[in-house]
Parts: sequence; C-alpha cells; structure tokens
Amino acid sequence: MVKTRTWAAVIGCILLLAGAAAVWLWLRPAPGHVAEIYSDGALRYTVDLDRVREPRRLTVEGPRGVNVILIEPGRIRVESADCPDQVCVNAGWLSDSASPIVCLPHRLVIRLTGGAGPDTTAG
Amino acid sequence: MARDAVLTAVALTIFVLELQLPDLIPVPGVKAGLSNIVTLITLYLMGPWDALAVLTARILLGSVFSGNASALIYSLAGSLVAFPVTLLMKKIVTERQVWVASVFAAIAHNAGQMGAAILVTATPSLAVYLPVLTVSGVIAGLFTGLAAQACLPGLSKILRDQ
Repeated sequence: MVKTRTWAAVIGCILLLAGAAAVWLWLRPAPGHVAEIYSDGALRYTVDLDRVREPRRLTVEGPRGVNVILIEPGRIRVESADCPDQVCVNAGWLSDSASPIVCLPHRLVIRLTGGAGPDTTAG
Repeated sequence: MARDAVLTAVALTIFVLELQLPDLIPVPGVKAGLSNIVTLITLYLMGPWDALAVLTARILLGSVFSGNASALIYSLAGSLVAFPVTLLMKKIVTERQVWVASVFAAIAHNAGQMGAAILVTATPSLAVYLPVLTVSGVIAGLFTGLAAQACLPGLSKILRDQ
C-alpha cells in the first residue's frame, strides 16, 4: 500500500508543475497581433488588430450557433453568443495573450498569431 | 436497478444545481464535477457496471436537461478516459484514499475532454489550457473524492448488496 503521505506528495508535485506551467502559458505574450478566427476547424477570418481603426462587429455563423465578435484597435472579444455556457463571452478581451478564446459549443476559436496577414474581413 | 435509478436521479440533481453556479474562470472545461461524488459512491458500493450505468445515464440525461447537447461529446470523451483510470486507481488505493483515485480520475477526465476539443475544433493550440485544466482537475477531484469518501461509511449500509 502506498502511504497517504506519498500520494499527497505526488499530487502536490503535479499541482505545482501544472500550476507553474499554467501561469507561464498564461503570461506568455502572443507571437503577434493578427487574430485568426476559426469556425468548425476552418480558418474563417484573419484580422490584423494593429490595423484596425474603427470598432466593428463581425458575426460568425457556425453550424451550431452565432458568435458576435467585437473588434477594436489592438483587441478582440466575443461580445455575445447564443451558446449555452458563455465561456467565450466571459473570456473578455484578447489583446496580448497566447491563450485563445474558445467557444466549444460552437466550435469557434480566436487566437493571435504573428505576421501581418492580409485583412480579409469585409468592413 | 432501482438503486441505480435513484443514484442517477441524485447525480442529475447535483449536476443541474452545479449548472447554476457561476464559472470561476472562463476556461472551457473547468468544472467542479460534483455529480461524480455519486459516480464514486456507486463504484465503491455497487461495483463498476452500476457505476458505468449511472455515469452514462447522468451524462446523456444531463445533456438534455442542460440544453447543452454540444457539450455531450466532451463529457463522453472525458468520462471514457476517466472511468478506466478510476477502476485502476481503485485497485491501488485504500478506502481511506478514495480522494487520490478521484484526483487522478479528474485529471484524466480533463485531459480526455481537451483531446476531444482539439479533435473537434481541429485546433492543437487548445493544449495551452491543459495545465489550467490539470490544476482545476486536482482541486475538483480532491473535493469530490473527499466528499465521496466521507459519505461511503454511512451509505454502505443502505447501498451495499441487500
């Protein structure tokens, strides 16, 4: 039998390692300010956030629902969505983090990448 | 069978109540998983088949009650990974260490769920959430495990083979 103290130590180590990795990943800056919006696994829009002058909305209709994305100079967020959990809305603004905004129910992902791709969104 | 049904009803009630709690952090897949207290109790007092039945019924009915049918695939994937891990851990740990099995089950659940999300969204970069989900799994698993462990002695008289 493994002693409870040993189990506690093993779990404590896992917690520390995962915690450190989580903090490191969370604070890791994004490689760039180009937002890529994926729906259902396919890249749908690319927006260079540094070139955004006016706030604008982008409605992404996936096979399972709609996410309204708000784009402002230098940042992007999901403003509203008809998904059940609202995790994507609660995630707030994405401006400088490598952690993507995810709407699992609608299979929508917004992540920041490097490089200035062409702005393919229509006004 | 009747006991399985009662346990499923209890698990579903806990599941629906938990849905009313606000999200602590906006990371997909972070959840307390309180209804797994029932899964653990069923496993320990009635055996793996009953536990599998109660777990599957709760997941399927839970997705109906929550109106979040698209979450079903992630719950199923998580449980598919977590259940064998729990069975294995049950063989290793003592009855005073149920929480240990629960912690590993929760970590496995979140990893399986993340794997499904990566496949479904075709976005490997979702893996950046794995450490956060591991931390949340340890905390959630610890809590549900300790809760189940505390309930086991009292419930064993009622649930164990009659």
